[in-house]
Amino acid sequence: MIEFIPKILSGAKATLLIFFMTLIFSLPLGLPICFMRMSKNRFVKGIATVIISILRGTPLMLQLIVWFFGPYYIFGIRLNSDWRILSIIIGFSINYAAYFAEIYRAGIESIPIGQYEAATVLGYTKTKRFFKIIFPQMVKRVLPPVTNEVITLIKDTSLAFVVAYAEMFTMAKQVAAAETTIVPLFVAGLFYYIFNYLVAFILEKIEKSFNYYS
Amino acid sequence: MNIFEIKNCKKSFDGIKVIDDISFNVKEGEVLAIIGSSGSGKTTLLRICTFLQYMDDGEMSYLGEKIVTSDNGASRYIGQNELSIDALNNNKELIKIKSNFGLVFQNFNLFPHWTVLRNVMDAPISVEKRDKDEVEASAMKYLKKMGLETKAMRYPCELSGGQQQRVAIARALCLEPKIIYFDEPTSALDPELTGEILKVIKDLANENKTMVIVTHEMNFARDVADRAIFVDNGVIVEEGDAHELITNPKMERTKKFLQKYN
Repeated sequence: MIEFIPKILSGAKATLLIFFMTLIFSLPLGLPICFMRMSKNRFVKGIATVIISILRGTPLMLQLIVWFFGPYYIFGIRLNSDWRILSIIIGFSINYAAYFAEIYRAGIESIPIGQYEAATVLGYTKTKRFFKIIFPQMVKRVLPPVTNEVITLIKDTSLAFVVAYAEMFTMAKQVAAAETTIVPLFVAGLFYYIFNYLVAFILEKIEKSFNYYS
Repeated sequence: MNIFEIKNCKKSFDGIKVIDDISFNVKEGEVLAIIGSSGSGKTTLLRICTFLQYMDDGEMSYLGEKIVTSDNGASRYIGQNELSIDALNNNKELIKIKSNFGLVFQNFNLFPHWTVLRNVMDAPISVEKRDKDEVEASAMKYLKKMGLETKAMRYPCELSGGQQQRVAIARALCLEPKIIYFDEPTSALDPELTGEILKVIKDLANENKTMVIVTHEMNFARDVADRAIFVDNGVIVEEGDAHELITNPKMERTKKFLQKYN
């Protein structure tokens, strides 16, 4: 019974790879998308609105398929086997960046106008005003919704099965089918839960570290 | 010498005239009180003086330097071609001029994520590129003057409203402005805390600081200001010696307004 554990662990490694790479790229990428979405330029804002709408309005699973097969079916480009994990990371990162962009926007828009005005009168440039005064306050405000997304991301990694990537849930299903037992699926579920518990714990700690002001 | 001068200032919002041809100046060491009912255009006027809002037409100068000129019925700001708040915010030339004035807001607008000391110190260091040690000494001097030297390492949320407003005044002073604007500095405070802020402003007046104060505290304006202007419906109805204007107004509208305070 216990021999399937290494297989699930190798799947867990793949899951963690998707998870961390997606966070590394999508958290910062959300910011420029957010700026575009808030731009006074109607064209730029329009592009961001459409992109966000498509990314949020279609299944992530479908987006992963498009990223993986798109280069070949649309442009006829043949890519090597590395493209599988690359396309997964691109698909996840861009999809999550769209959600983060909207969370950041809500955070920025919730900062009182007086903060901007005080900074402007004191002579801060637009860039300094954002990075010194608005951004740090925004981070505190967006942490709870960002935590939500991060937890969802861990579970969403299982969608990578759609391009035949051997992440944890795919491995668990394979073992379950081969051994005709449901136990591997529960073991995978337990891994997801433990990992999410850790993530929630860490993010809550970070959230608390901002409690020194209100 | 005129520290500040504004001439024929006009401002409308969506076709509604908020300021209709207002002119006044502020001399060095003078305290000017601006009084008037809510919605009379006082705050808009102050926002125009501090570049938070642009005027549609008129002229403005700081220390004799023309910042805004009137050109074919529209105002023209130095360093920008377009009339918009964005253009004002992005105007690099105005940043230098902003160091001439400070603004104290009705609801303080301190930066909540910074300590009291950093609130006071950051702009002189990061905007004016002054020496950190020199700025820290200066910031502590102003905090001491405000009776807040023991609160330097506290955060704004740990202070009372009156203390927060005193930090805001120290923040404005630390940039060594030539003129300080106060936009109803006591309107968010209870009567007890109002007293402590008014005392601080009175002390500044005794040191011959140049100030423009928008206020509803008539007794305070009468005793502390040198001159007063009464604004109603976007025009100056009456102006003159503060004590005279408030105790013995000439115009009917001024009398009617001041009656509400007695």
